[in-house]
Order: sequence, then C-alpha cells, then structure tokens
Amino acid sequence: MNAAIINTPAAVVVRRTIAASAEDLFDAWLDPEALAIWMRPGSGIHNTQAKVEPRVGGRFEINMHADSGVIPHSGVYRVIDRPRRLVFTWLSPHTGEGETLVTVDFLPRDQRTEVVVTHEQLPEAKREAHNGGWTRALEKLDAFRAPSHE
Amino acid sequence: MGEYQSKQLDGVFNALCDPTRRAILARLTDTDARVTDIAADFPISLNSISKHIRMLERAGLVTRSVHGRDHLLSLNAGPLADASEWLEHYRRFWEDRLAALEKLVTSRKRKRK
Repeated sequence: MNAAIINTPAAVVVRRTIAASAEDLFDAWLDPEALAIWMRPGSGIHNTQAKVEPRVGGRFEINMHADSGVIPHSGVYRVIDRPRRLVFTWLSPHTGEGETLVTVDFLPRDQRTEVVVTHEQLPEAKREAHNGGWTRALEKLDAFRAPSHE
Repeated sequence: MGEYQSKQLDGVFNALCDPTRRAILARLTDTDARVTDIAADFPISLNSISKHIRMLERAGLVTRSVHGRDHLLSLNAGPLADASEWLEHYRRFWEDRLAALEKLVTSRKRKRK
C-alpha cells in the first residue's frame, strides 16, 4: 500500500517512437480526416467524425459513433507549436464534468519521432491560469506568429 | 463517471501532486497518527501541515476522528483506486491511439513513395 501511494502518478504518460517526421505526425492531430481514422477505438466504435478549429482557443469535437450511441469528446487548443508541442483540454464521458489536459510532445529521434502524450487532471490552480490571462497571452503570441500552421 | 466522482478525482490528483502530502499519506499507511505526531515529523509549521491535512481530508484520502484533545488521522485508500482506474483507462486509450496514428502516418508515407 505504501508503495502504491508513492507510485500513483499524477498523470498518464504514454510514449511511442514512430518512423515519420514530426511534421507529418503533428499534422495528423489537427486534420479532421486523419483524426476520423486514428481516433476510432476498436471496441464497438464503427465511425468517428471530427471537427477542428486549429488555432489557440479553437475548439475540437471528436464524436465516436458506437452501437450504444455517440460518445462525444471535445476540448480547446491551448498551445499549437508545430511541430514540437500541442496542448489541449479534453472532455469526455469518462472525465465527467471535469476538463482534463493533454500535452503532446514531438521529439526528433534520428529519422524517427518520439510522440509523448501526457494526460492529467487539470488542477484548480492550473485551470484558472489556463482560463485566465495565460490563455489570452498565448492567443496574442499566436497572432504574432506567421499563420503557417493554420 | 459522474460529476461527483470526477470532482473527487480532481481532489485526489491535487493531493498527490505535492511531496509533503504524499509523505503524510505514506506515514499513515503504517499506522494511524495524531496531527501533532505528523507535525513533529516535518520541518514545516503546524499551520502548513494543517493545510496539507485539510486538503487530504477534502480529497477523501484521510479521515479524522477526535478523541478528547487528540485528533487521530487514518488513511482512506478508496479514492486512490479510482485514481488508478482513471490512469489505467487513459494509459490504454492513448497507447491504442498512438498505435493507430503510427499505422495511418506510416501507410500514408508508403503511398507517397
């Protein structure tokens, strides 16, 4: 029990090294057609539809159609830094009413790319920071950048 | 998962993200302890320790019983199981999704060649 407490992490971290460029992998996260293909969990989901507003503050919706009905997933993009980092909130029936936060890092590994997904509950302090000034600051920063990835 | 459960989970993760609170929980796995005993174990003020303990109580990880002047703290590990279940669900979800992403992106690449 002691060890279980010490080892219970505060976030899920999943890594996979893929033989593709960071750009190709990054773009697959913001492309509705690609999302419709790879965001389709095998068990009982026969179709996925994705809608994406690929800008900071923009929303996405990923609806997974199952026999039992539609399983909605949605969120708001917080950071879009192609091809290095993508951060978005994540709301699904499994997260209840609470928003969670997903950070995706794309790390070059020779000819390949390591994709690191960190999924965490959004602690209250962080949530306020996200919903407040920090988001607005990022939006402004994004407006300054060349709109190459939008 | 309902709203109540999700909010509780939120509190559990909040509680776990601090090393002092983790240490307090670890201390309580061996045996129940008085607030004053725990305060004596940590080089921070009683006031700070009390704040950490209140947070653990709100997360449902610690329960307090009052015996005269002593406040006895016990570990309640139930919410930790919920947290583990959440972590396990999303670990599997993202592992499967990244496998599907690899399949899509590498097959596209082959088609382009």
